[in-house]
Amino acid sequence: MTASPITPNPAAISVSELLRQALRRNRYRSSGAALRRRTVLWEIAGATAWCLAGFAVFINAARHVEVWLSAGALGLLGETKISGALGDSFLIFGPGDRPLVAELTASCSALTSLLALSALAVFVLRRRPHALGGFLVAAVWIVLANQLRLILSLLAGVHLDVSALVLFHDWVGALLNFAYTLVGLLIMIALTMHSPERAEQDRSGRHTAGRPDAWARPGLGYRVESVGRPARTPRIRIASFVHRRLLPSSVSRKLAARRERGRIDYRLGHLDPAERAAAVRELAGRGLGVHTATLVAVATHETAHLVLDALADAVAARQWEPVSDRQITALRLWSRAWIMRAEANPSTSEKTPAAPAVTPGVAPARPAAARRGRLVAVTGAGGPAGVAVIRALRAAGHRVLALDADPDAVGLRLGDTAAVLPRADADGYGEALLGIVTEHRPAALICTVAEEYAALGAVTARLTALGCRTWLPDTTAVRTCLNKAMFAAALHARGVPHPATATTREGAGALPGPWIVKPAGGRGSRDVHAVDTAAELDRAFATVAVPIAQTRLTGREFTADVLVARDGTMLTCVPRWRDETRAGISVRGSTFDSAAVTRVVGDTLRAVGLTGPANVQGFVADPAPLADDPDAEVAVSVVEVNPRFSGGLPLTLAAGADVVGSYLTGILEPGAPLPRLSFQPGVRMARHFAEVYYAADGTAVADPLIPA
Amino acid sequence: MTVAPAPRHAAGHREEHHRWALLAYVVLLVGAFVAFGVDSTLGVIAGALNLIFLAYFFRHLAFAISAARWAEDDLAAADVGVESYAPPLAVLVACKNEELVVDGMVSALLGLDYPRDALTLVVVDDASTDGTGARLDAWAASDPRLRVLHRAPDAGGGKSGALNDALAQIEAEIVVVFDADHEPERNVLRRLVRHFRDPEVGAVMGRCVVRNGVESSLASTIFIDYLSGYLVNEYGRQALFELPAYGGANCAVRTDVLRALAGWNPHTVTEDTDLTLRVLLGGKRVRYDPAAVDFEEAVLSSSRFWRQRYRWARGHQKCLRDYWRTALRSPHLGFAEKVETMMFLWVYHIPVLCGIGLVLTALRGFGIGGEAAVGLLPLSTLLFAGPFAELAVGLLLGRVERRAAWLLVGFIPAFGLAILTATAAYLDGMWGRRYSWAKTARSGATSVRPAAPAPVAAASVSFARRALPAGVSEGESR
Repeated sequence: MTASPITPNPAAISVSELLRQALRRNRYRSSGAALRRRTVLWEIAGATAWCLAGFAVFINAARHVEVWLSAGALGLLGETKISGALGDSFLIFGPGDRPLVAELTASCSALTSLLALSALAVFVLRRRPHALGGFLVAAVWIVLANQLRLILSLLAGVHLDVSALVLFHDWVGALLNFAYTLVGLLIMIALTMHSPERAEQDRSGRHTAGRPDAWARPGLGYRVESVGRPARTPRIRIASFVHRRLLPSSVSRKLAARRERGRIDYRLGHLDPAERAAAVRELAGRGLGVHTATLVAVATHETAHLVLDALADAVAARQWEPVSDRQITALRLWSRAWIMRAEANPSTSEKTPAAPAVTPGVAPARPAAARRGRLVAVTGAGGPAGVAVIRALRAAGHRVLALDADPDAVGLRLGDTAAVLPRADADGYGEALLGIVTEHRPAALICTVAEEYAALGAVTARLTALGCRTWLPDTTAVRTCLNKAMFAAALHARGVPHPATATTREGAGALPGPWIVKPAGGRGSRDVHAVDTAAELDRAFATVAVPIAQTRLTGREFTADVLVARDGTMLTCVPRWRDETRAGISVRGSTFDSAAVTRVVGDTLRAVGLTGPANVQGFVADPAPLADDPDAEVAVSVVEVNPRFSGGLPLTLAAGADVVGSYLTGILEPGAPLPRLSFQPGVRMARHFAEVYYAADGTAVADPLIPA
Repeated sequence: MTVAPAPRHAAGHREEHHRWALLAYVVLLVGAFVAFGVDSTLGVIAGALNLIFLAYFFRHLAFAISAARWAEDDLAAADVGVESYAPPLAVLVACKNEELVVDGMVSALLGLDYPRDALTLVVVDDASTDGTGARLDAWAASDPRLRVLHRAPDAGGGKSGALNDALAQIEAEIVVVFDADHEPERNVLRRLVRHFRDPEVGAVMGRCVVRNGVESSLASTIFIDYLSGYLVNEYGRQALFELPAYGGANCAVRTDVLRALAGWNPHTVTEDTDLTLRVLLGGKRVRYDPAAVDFEEAVLSSSRFWRQRYRWARGHQKCLRDYWRTALRSPHLGFAEKVETMMFLWVYHIPVLCGIGLVLTALRGFGIGGEAAVGLLPLSTLLFAGPFAELAVGLLLGRVERRAAWLLVGFIPAFGLAILTATAAYLDGMWGRRYSWAKTARSGATSVRPAAPAPVAAASVSFARRALPAGVSEGESR
């Protein structure tokens, strides 16, 4: 290290001398606590000076005013033996009309109490402008109460005795003085405190604001789930009357917007991360100076990286904006640190190794976020479930290594990198996969093909050793799901509603028709036959390999996308109607809510012992009551369970249940508690085709339909 | 670090007493009456009391102002690096006949957010005669993270003894202590532990919040008392003097500091204040984190309130007698810190002085006693005004609804009760009346967590986000 001279003086002081001087100065520099003490001492000195100076300046005037007030009040009451003519004293004609001068001393005046309360309002109840109104009401109360005390002691002097006046005023009055000052203080405190609507806890400490944990200030109220707070509607709504009848609507709107800004973090906190991120982008887009408080609240409380990335990007994009508020500086500092931190993270700054030349068909929406994500391998990239998972991961800012057995699988064009694997039942699957993982080092692997689980299970330990984590369901559970006969047996054993199933032609004949015949180990809707007559049944049993027959169910078909935690807790169940399907894939559907479906789905998954993602297919016999009452008891039957993500996954994601993100968290942090995911019922999906084009060597061909 | 002096009574089994000091006070008083006359003596005493009351008023006011200035922003400030620092940690809880609350406590402990491999949970069953031991064993069987120690009925030492037994069995860098009626928030360990990055820190205190205010008006009064005690008083002590007190539950101590101090002191009934003093006098610091929250039960009846406050007063007053000389000589405390430490140690003597002040005022009413330098009554009022300023700021910081202000009226009889408990504790302590640990009885009514280990059957839940009226929370378990 070199030290350059600080002063141009050629006889420069040495560095060590400068250091010594700095340290010497530092010895006299106060500690943080001393500085804070000094600040508070100044305030106390200010409060004391305010009280003393106020007393010195106003006491004579206050005594005159109070004498004048009391005399006036007594005059109104018709009392003629007391006069306030002497200015700061009363002239009293006591028993026997003995004249007496009663001086209103400084200690009889309400001024002391008023000064003390005003000092408390300014120095202690600071920040809350309500303290001013509180003080004014309390001041009126104290002046009136002191008048009452004066009048009562004067009346005692007139009707009883001089000593009665003194006794009453000095002793009883002193207690009264204490009592009404205390009540005045309470009035001031009460009016300064938060109204029930804006408070966070009630008088017994129960949380009432309904803030989510991450957003609430710590410890404000005990959360009692079972205790409902009855909504109290005041009979007269003054604020509502003022806004509706008195204020011009433009003013009312502006005030409402201002109020909303003060409380917007309450609302933002309830949204899902993706929705929060969108809301943050929108708020920041209106100007950092508009919703600054909310944006700072997001930077302060938010824990979802998705949302924080969105905020940092939004702030980074608005660096032209004048710093009209110190909070904007804080936001920019925070964003700078956040982005630097993400870039410094070694796991994300790794260079992507030379991958098979596959250019993504879809340009990344947010390259900054994409750079920060993890590399995740997805198998079954050609299937609709694989495509949905790839798109969900990329939207969350991760990079995807797409894997499929088919070199023309569309998902290979949708990931960031891609590789072709042998089929799971072929020799060399495990070795090929390990080779690809060794080369690309993904942090996690998501399997969207249930048939691959067995082959994957054999190499899990070696994958983990390469830093690639997996979360595979129990092999028995997978086998049960994949074999429809075993599945039927498991469900019957646990009493879960399931269509009667037969594995032989004779058994099928005994079942009530019409029937469905399908292969016991089939996938999707391949080789499924709807059978109405016995002859068709014969034919179906002859053509289908290892067939099973089931009574064909009637009603409305649904699929429920489910995520089950490692301990068996169902984290979400998003049922959706399969309004139209093509080749077994839902192309038109809508989410719905049903307690009965959720219950049966939960029972099904417990019966097979599955964890991780799954989709459960079944029928609701009479779905009509669900339109009005999600808790309606409808008849639900389960047909099959696929231990993987479904082809209709995009609808579940659109409804707000981020099953892919949660599953990835579950893979990467096996011990972390996963959140329960809620969803929006009534979200509809209509699917269309999308294309990617590529040349024979794999390079991308421009899409002519994308607007230039 | 230098090891703090052991309490002076550590070896003695006989109850210490200060009867000679009491006698000396009486002789001094009578001597002053004879030498200067009753009126002028009482006048001088009243004047001295006035000065003490004034000093405490300014102390309360300073705490109220500091909390009003900084605490709100402090509570909302971002946590820094709470995820990245997790030294090995042991949670210790001593239980004696706690079957009403032990399930809630254990399930809260098992839900704490801390790396599994760095966390040890030890619950000591201190010879309970109810179902506490069996419940703890059931929990331990269902979750291997929980270790249960059963103490013999004659093990002795009260809470300190139980904690010392547990301390002997753990290997951890930090020890966190809760009481059996406590239900810590999930993030409490991370928030407590973050302060130990500073090697000077010996102990960290979190914030306790009353959760059963709904059970009685006394409990809601105590709820407000805690709000001001933690959000204003404790906060102010940290902000202005960096001298918050370690409070016995929801607090963390560095294990090597604790071992160097020979563990918790079994010869005191307020082992927390005792440990605070020994940590400070040993050259380490205590820190306070108002964001590290746990919920506890307040006592419900005035007789239990009396017993609890009597114990606090008795133990705290004993700490003054044990440590005031050492504190004044300590090289680790500056002048302002010594003043604050002495005022803190005197806190439970002030109600005794208030009682004397009341007696002097009553005597003045009957014409006995000289005029004090400053009027006694207005200054006693100031003594009330100080705590009320703290209470008001506590209510505002806690964002409690407006109606709670009227509960402050309940503090007037509470102050009266404080005068009686502190005076009784003072006289008993000076006289040397025998006293041992008095366990606080629980209600358990607001202990809403699972009542049995690990519920197996999953309840039927709907995951849908149904349409809700605007502004209403969804209550989803995100």
